[in-house]
Amino acid sequence: MPDQPNVPPSSAASAPSGPVAPKPESPAPAAPQPPKAPAGFVNVEIDGRPLQVKAGTNLIEAANQLDIRIPFYCYHKKLTIAANCRMCLVKVSNAPKLVPGCQTPVTEGLKVTTNSPEVMDSHRAVEELLLYNHPVDCAICDQAGECKLQDYYMQYDHRPQRPAQPKLLRHKRKELGPTIVLDQERCVLCTRCVRFMKEIPGEPQLGVFGRGNHEYIDIFPGQELTSRYAGNTVDICPVGALLSRDFRFKARAFYLSQAVSVCAGCSRGCNTFLDHYDQVSYRYRPRENDAVNSAWMCDDGRLTYHRLVEKRALAPMLGRVGAGKPAAFAEAVATAAKRLEPFRGKAELAVLVSPQLSVEDLLAVAQLAKEALGASALYEGGLADGVEDALLLRADKNPNRQGLRLVAKAFGLELRPFQELVDAAEAGKLKALYVAGAEVPIDEHMAAAVLEPIEVIVTQAVHLDGLAGGSDVLLPASPHAEDDGSFVNFEGRLQRFERAYAPWGESRPHWALATELARALGFTWRRASARAVWDELRDRIPEFAQVDWSDLGPNAIRRPGIGLAPAAADARPPGYRERPVQLKARPPEPIQ
Amino acid sequence: MSNPKRPVPAYEAPGSRPETARERAYFPELARGLAISAGHFLRNLLWSRDPSPDVLHRRGPNAVSTVQYPEEVAPYPPGYRGMHRLVPREDGRPRCVACYMCATICPAQCIYIEAGEYPEDPIEKYPVRFEIDELRCIVCGFCVEACPKDAIRMDTGTHCKPSYDRPSIVYGIDRLLKGPAVSHASDVWFKREGSDPPPEADPHPIPERGR
Amino acid sequence: MRRLIGMLALGAGILVGLGIFAWAAYEVVDALGVVTFAAGIGPALGQALGSILFLQLLFVMLLATLLTLAERKWSAAMQDRIGPNRARIAGLSRWSFGGVPHIIADALKMIAKEDVVPESARASKLLFQLAPALNFAPIFCLFAIVPMGPPVTFGHLVGHRLVSISSALQISNPDIGLLYVFGVASIAVYGVSLAGWASGNKLALLGGVRASSQMIAYEVALGLGLVGMMMAAGSLRLDQMTQYQSQGLFGTSWLPAWGIFLQPVGFLLFFAAAFAESKRTPFDLPEGESEIIGYFVEYSGMKFGLFMIAEFVEIVTLSGVITAIFFGGWHLSPFLDSWIHDSVVAPLVRARFSDPTLIAPSIELTMAVIFTVIFMVKLLLLCWLQLLIRWTFPRFRYDQVQRLGWRILLPIGLLNVFLTGLLELLDGSTRLLGVVGLCELAFGLGLVFWTGPSEAKSEGHGLPTEAVLGGHP
Repeated sequence: MPDQPNVPPSSAASAPSGPVAPKPESPAPAAPQPPKAPAGFVNVEIDGRPLQVKAGTNLIEAANQLDIRIPFYCYHKKLTIAANCRMCLVKVSNAPKLVPGCQTPVTEGLKVTTNSPEVMDSHRAVEELLLYNHPVDCAICDQAGECKLQDYYMQYDHRPQRPAQPKLLRHKRKELGPTIVLDQERCVLCTRCVRFMKEIPGEPQLGVFGRGNHEYIDIFPGQELTSRYAGNTVDICPVGALLSRDFRFKARAFYLSQAVSVCAGCSRGCNTFLDHYDQVSYRYRPRENDAVNSAWMCDDGRLTYHRLVEKRALAPMLGRVGAGKPAAFAEAVATAAKRLEPFRGKAELAVLVSPQLSVEDLLAVAQLAKEALGASALYEGGLADGVEDALLLRADKNPNRQGLRLVAKAFGLELRPFQELVDAAEAGKLKALYVAGAEVPIDEHMAAAVLEPIEVIVTQAVHLDGLAGGSDVLLPASPHAEDDGSFVNFEGRLQRFERAYAPWGESRPHWALATELARALGFTWRRASARAVWDELRDRIPEFAQVDWSDLGPNAIRRPGIGLAPAAADARPPGYRERPVQLKARPPEPIQ
Repeated sequence: MSNPKRPVPAYEAPGSRPETARERAYFPELARGLAISAGHFLRNLLWSRDPSPDVLHRRGPNAVSTVQYPEEVAPYPPGYRGMHRLVPREDGRPRCVACYMCATICPAQCIYIEAGEYPEDPIEKYPVRFEIDELRCIVCGFCVEACPKDAIRMDTGTHCKPSYDRPSIVYGIDRLLKGPAVSHASDVWFKREGSDPPPEADPHPIPERGR
Repeated sequence: MRRLIGMLALGAGILVGLGIFAWAAYEVVDALGVVTFAAGIGPALGQALGSILFLQLLFVMLLATLLTLAERKWSAAMQDRIGPNRARIAGLSRWSFGGVPHIIADALKMIAKEDVVPESARASKLLFQLAPALNFAPIFCLFAIVPMGPPVTFGHLVGHRLVSISSALQISNPDIGLLYVFGVASIAVYGVSLAGWASGNKLALLGGVRASSQMIAYEVALGLGLVGMMMAAGSLRLDQMTQYQSQGLFGTSWLPAWGIFLQPVGFLLFFAAAFAESKRTPFDLPEGESEIIGYFVEYSGMKFGLFMIAEFVEIVTLSGVITAIFFGGWHLSPFLDSWIHDSVVAPLVRARFSDPTLIAPSIELTMAVIFTVIFMVKLLLLCWLQLLIRWTFPRFRYDQVQRLGWRILLPIGLLNVFLTGLLELLDGSTRLLGVVGLCELAFGLGLVFWTGPSEAKSEGHGLPTEAVLGGHP
């Protein structure tokens, strides 16, 4: 994933990007004398195809630019080079033997061969050796379907194992810590996990033990793998050795479809893929974005997918705790409008908005608060602050607080902290409350108790707990996985996410609920999609005025004709998983 | 038929033959038709039906080909394999490891699996739920071909029993797990007791570290 | 073989049962006739009431009910199936009784079903309710003039006076006879058209329109088919037609002068036209149960049941009329009639009774019972023939139906009338009629059994042979 445009967009050009070659003004002709390379660049030839590339680039990255994929296990773009898997051995013109592609930088005039019989035989031999002790228990392996051993076996080896000694038996299920389980038999000892723990979070909790055939990965004696970033070792493990205890045996990887998404766990807004199947989310995986999260995300963020599937409010409810009963959608909206009507434009009406909502949701809600309800201020809800660290984690656990600020400013609404709402409620100044997003920074039950005396509480909430139970009218909202939208992260970066699947039950996006409520109050607003909300209200926010929604994310090129509602029993139209995620600047292949 | 080399038609339409005088007279043909019906009627009325369940080998003038199903059951053809079963291990647990291969290949999408984890077993994964909707199943046998563990077989020689309601035709583990146990020499439980390596597995044992 | 013996035994049992039925019918008709005679209003009313009870309410209705089952069992036999055999009486019996319990099940179903009056029929609810009755009643009435048994004279002591009362198994014997058949049969179409119209359903209406136009098309052929026999017998009364057919043809005693021998063309015309009137399968366009939807699509429950039972009543009635007009009624042939009288019945009765005053009436009653059974058997065979036709022939297309009616049956009928009139002018007896009729029959049978030269050379419907194709290239 490349960098997203910053807000304001003038800073977008300054966002760092990966090692990308500058585009030559005219395509290089296939001439015997390649044009002279600019300063700092060298001419190389890979499989007979010329390329100008920055000096010092390794062969894997250089070949990648020509869409030539050199196989590898231990190489990772964001980690140091180990060159211990020997899978990427290629032939170069300046060395008598095959050299590892990950470790060899390009030099002027270098000729690289990646597909000669010699190289292919090297790939096959390495693959055979890696499979020497591999148990081939793909049937029970969660990695099956996204496993490099499988891929390269089919590509390079593809023949039965030669008779050999019995395979070594090791620990098949070693629980390294609260999140990770290790299968030492499947490990190919690429040491990506060891290097990651040492280099990225700086917590070297994994190591390689033993010698030769008896080498294995393990934790140190008496310790546990407790790092907040341990989940990344599952992602970067090229085989099924390191597995997430949360995801283990929940779903087969080849069933999952991926949606381009953004983690809503904190205001960092790590770029993610949301893996889902049959309208159920199963996991987050980090998506590469050097400007935000490099290629990593924290374990806390990974587990926030649970909030997409647990305790969901799926039907409108009328009545407070204990007396709540499901109601038809139209009836609930009409009731909400009728109850709020007497308080329109009065100081007794407060609006509580959560920064968990997307920018589009906030635009619709703010317009409702300002124009339909006549409010002059928004109370700022959202989750309480939490842990912060130097790498990714932010203390603010809400993904869109900056967006809320921008929207409130644009609509001329004052933003007041949640404590003032509590004070006003305790002082008895409030008689009506409209809640968009029921997350509150204090204990939910305490908040519900404080707000209890308020006569009318209309809530749009994703979940059934907390404030939702104490509302007179509960309208079920859908979380960000179920609609398109965007968040503004803590540094003002506007990031798009896409709809993974249709909303659950009768839930609908916040913007749709706010629009329905406004229509019930006598307005004639009509919006068909989050895009429509954006197009309608973008101009009110000067910072957004020059941002093109289509440029932000993948949604504009969603393949037509493929619905997101379940098309088959497995909810997966043919080829849907293989849907190309085309972005403005096509990134190199995601590197594990 | 001007061109003798013209391609042979797949069929000759009946209209291509000129009608005979009798056919044009119409009533005689009707009478012949009636005679055929009456012949069948009398044969089936006056002679009793051979109740042999094999219709093709029925004897006698009676031409009725009905099989009175619950009382007479037509024999299965020799190649019939029958409904599937989940193959048990020697210890009674299913051989299935919930790999979803059968569910993936199933063209009728009639297999539903939920995986679970054994706390102590050489194979950690097992199906908590394994259900086959026999109403959707087309008995194609792809699941048997796809299974990497020889855990589903079609060798029962029976067919799915009819039922008055749909839920009772969704077969779970309790009804699918039956038949003789099967084990192969390559099965993992012959090599190890649980997920830890057996002490004799490694000639150079490594001292156990930090569990 | 067991089944063969069982079937023969069943047939014999049916004959005996029919005989008992006929005997009981005569006794009751006579008794009721005496009652009304004693009451001073003549025996005719009582006899008619008895005949209505036995002939219409018992014989026709029971037979029609059994035919609903026979339709299914017989069609099954013709199609190499078994037919319905799963209904059990209270689930107790091991045997299916040939499927007879299905009749009870059907009747219960019909009666217990919801009687739906569709929204579209609310506007003319009365006519909607009336239509099934209007369809059923005329068909039911038709049987009134069918003579099932010959008149028998019973002597009775009524108030110290010995009277002889003649009783026949015929409800009514009007002079207009066959005209009654034509008139009443035509009324039935009103019920059908009304059903189609009152349903307020355009498809039902189309069915009703099809029915009326089909009935009009075949009404003429129906009449023309019988004109020949009317001219030959010189009467419209069915009992006189029966009497006419009791004579021998060409002076022989073994070949009876049945209508079928005198008027084979007339028989075919009448049979085809009557079949079309009864709206059964080769001509079932008004109903078209499976595809084109008929006039009773909106009817349910017993109202539909009336339409259905009317169809089977029509089969019985039609068989009765044809038996009386074309198959000699209760007569076999002069020789057989007298043989039964002289060699079978008379010796038996004489051996049974010693009182000479009882012998003659007993012989007369026994002969009447036997004649009635003969009539019933002929009627049953004709019912079977109609079902055979219904389950053998496919339905005509509608234009074919109209063409058959107007362009084939009508001209043939007219020709037949002229021919018969000519023959009657030339020779008043049955001789010339019989010669021509037998020639027509022989020509028809010859066509049936003739295998022409084209048959032998026929290529069949398969692939052309190599010789035709000039060998393989």
